[in-house]
Amino acid sequence: MIEEPYRWVEAIANRREYIETQLASGSPIAAVGYCDGILVLTLGRGRQKIFEIYNRIALGAIGHPGDIERLRMAAIELASTEGFTRSSADVSLRRLAHYSLSPLMKAAFEQVYGPPYLARLLFAEVGARPEEDLFLRVEYDGAIATNGATLSQLRQDFAVLSANRQSTELMESFLKSSPLTNAPLESAINFALNAWSLGHMTGGHNGAKEMPEPAAIGKHLQEQLTTAGIEAAVLEREVKTAIRYRALTDDEVRSSIQQ
Amino acid sequence: MALDQIFSGANEDFPALLRRQGILGGALTSFEKSAASIEPQQGRWAPTESTTILAFKFAGGVLVAGDRRATSGHTVVYDRADKVLEIDRHSIMAIAGVPATAWEMARVLEHSFQYFRRTQLQEMSVEGKVRALSKLLRDNFGFVMQGVGMVVPIFATYDQTSEPAARLYFYDAMGAQFEAADYAATGSGSPAVRGILYYENTWGEKPLQKREEDEAVTIALRALDTAAESDTATGGVDRSGKIFPVIKTVSRDGITTLPEQKTAAIFKKAVA
Repeated sequence: MIEEPYRWVEAIANRREYIETQLASGSPIAAVGYCDGILVLTLGRGRQKIFEIYNRIALGAIGHPGDIERLRMAAIELASTEGFTRSSADVSLRRLAHYSLSPLMKAAFEQVYGPPYLARLLFAEVGARPEEDLFLRVEYDGAIATNGATLSQLRQDFAVLSANRQSTELMESFLKSSPLTNAPLESAINFALNAWSLGHMTGGHNGAKEMPEPAAIGKHLQEQLTTAGIEAAVLEREVKTAIRYRALTDDEVRSSIQQ
Repeated sequence: MALDQIFSGANEDFPALLRRQGILGGALTSFEKSAASIEPQQGRWAPTESTTILAFKFAGGVLVAGDRRATSGHTVVYDRADKVLEIDRHSIMAIAGVPATAWEMARVLEHSFQYFRRTQLQEMSVEGKVRALSKLLRDNFGFVMQGVGMVVPIFATYDQTSEPAARLYFYDAMGAQFEAADYAATGSGSPAVRGILYYENTWGEKPLQKREEDEAVTIALRALDTAAESDTATGGVDRSGKIFPVIKTVSRDGITTLPEQKTAAIFKKAVA
């Protein structure tokens, strides 16, 4: 196959289509900044999708549980050994994603005889100041999208992960259209829930193609909340302990919902 | 950051991960004293050591205290050593012995607990934590036999789900763990401290476990002062330098470090 470049390109294209189909039913994840840190939120019915990677780093993932698990372990191993040999201050999401996870996922994706990672990853890292918060998305092919904290582009204090490109873009434009500035956690929870609802409506095989009306987004959310559990975690900027990650309980989140 | 392709999480603990990556040395398997081994004795090289530490259960949980002196032979190396170390939100490790080894052990332990919680998505049990320290001591035993790197720690933790919630353990240099019912003390000044704690617990106004925090701090300060009286390796309280022992308590709400002003006030009132 290596002697036949055309077949390799074709194999990659097939593989991309296959992975997209596999990921199409994933429940979206939204990460938004608020006055005291970062909130990561999703709704689900089954397994855990939001994880602690290190003191200041959280992970949200959609995809095959086995692949998510391998990538999660790799990220924790890297962060833990770095934090042990140097210091927890030297553990950086930028290095973790750019130098380690992205090359690994790209290599697996392009080696057409081996299995790719069926997973999309969303990372958030809380900094000392809001300007230093980093949001980062790593795709199954190793592509990275950041909120611009490391480049000279307009910064955004949110990131999303959804089943397909169109749904992702709609969620992003929703979050961009009414940005939160210095909002309390309660506002961030409602904002993220609506973004999730929008992502859920527009994802999947039969998802809506256009931006739905706000009323429809709210209605869809209420319907989903009756059957699905809320999974959420925060990365808190101003806490005394080194560990900034804190999982929120379903009740804790539900009590903040504004009708 | 090099990426290791072997994903192992479920069946490997953190020290094993560090060994696989060549970050942590393996256990010394030869326990024989060789001629080449360094004999720590006067006039030649002597390892830096530290003493005395004590811990006992009181009304609010467990109190852990340690003096601040580090010595090498007859020389005082450092008078502000911190021998009472926070491992996680509810665990304290206090060290007597060689700080170089002990601080490394504390770092390994701290990361082990967090690594376990993050990879396995559950908190390590108290038994698991106690055992983790025991394994580190066991792995270090080769160095102990060569005359360097002896560590004799105390481990205190508070776990609401267990009965009793306040747990206190001490170890020997080989890694045997002993659960203390009321109190524990290790280090060169510990015989005196043990005497005091036994006396207070048995014939004092009330048992140690019934003491409030201020009374408990008073007992800890008096015990360390007594140890320093006869043991040159124990620092006690440096009145002129305003160096006080480190005292931490672990309770349901986590670990609290006693502020130095409070230690100083209690010392002035009840000890000096």
